[in-house]
Amino acid sequence: MSFQILLNVIIALLWMFFQNAWNGLAFSKGYLVGIIILFCLRRFFPTRFYIQKLVAIVYLLLLFLVELLKANYSVLKEVIRPTLKIQPGIFALPLEVEKDWEIMLLANMITLTPGTLVVDISDDNSVLYIHAMHIDDVHEAIDDIKNSFEKAIMEVSR
Amino acid sequence: MKVNDLILKTATNVVSFIIITFSIYLFFTGHYTPGGGFIGGLMTSGGLLLLLLAYDLETVQSIIPFDFKKVIATGLLLALGTGIGGLFFDKPFLTHTYGYFDLPFFGEDTALATATLFDLGVYLVVVGITMTIIQTIGESE
Repeated sequence: MSFQILLNVIIALLWMFFQNAWNGLAFSKGYLVGIIILFCLRRFFPTRFYIQKLVAIVYLLLLFLVELLKANYSVLKEVIRPTLKIQPGIFALPLEVEKDWEIMLLANMITLTPGTLVVDISDDNSVLYIHAMHIDDVHEAIDDIKNSFEKAIMEVSR
Repeated sequence: MKVNDLILKTATNVVSFIIITFSIYLFFTGHYTPGGGFIGGLMTSGGLLLLLLAYDLETVQSIIPFDFKKVIATGLLLALGTGIGGLFFDKPFLTHTYGYFDLPFFGEDTALATATLFDLGVYLVVVGITMTIIQTIGESE
């Protein structure tokens, strides 16, 4: 990914040399030309085309914001309810992501969406221990996280 | 009892760079807006301190192999040198001057002031003293 971005910047600089114009506009035009060239030659690279990765990153961000709003709304309902009807508990979430930054991102996203809170990681980085405010069904909670956040993170780092 | 602090370490690797970058910005913006050598130096020490919290003392000393006592000495020498510089031009001690120069990349009329060098001395002294204090306290058993 970084190699492709570097190549794209080099193509944009070349474009500025050809035009003999040293401003942001010429650079942007050259960058667009570079995107088109890289898209046509994308099968030469061992990794996938980097615009796809950018789209995946934006999708992850939007998904996180939507989940944040939804989860905060549910916590608001819990807070203003006259009787307490929570069932707290801790469950283990087996991880599929392996890299350090992926685990950090997943753990922080789980913590920032209220109702769930990462308590600990196992020593071999394969299990997250999560404290949930409301455990109806453990498998449902695990599947929920796996299908939303973990899938989106895997999509970014694929 | 060793806990797995993977999240802290991974976050530190990103956040410390942001803190140190912001501290350098604060150092350079001190002439016209709030900031300057003191707060910039304290903030750089804050970034290094975060590294010290996430990793151990030996690791950080191998990453940043500075003897911070020498850093203090360098900063004091810089500040003293900018003070003495005024004496060569028949001006009182610590007289600062500035000028506008046409540099090739930074554009025309770039203001360069000797007060920046004095500030750099302050910066180095603050970083050196903070890190010396922290490391001395941390090493003592």
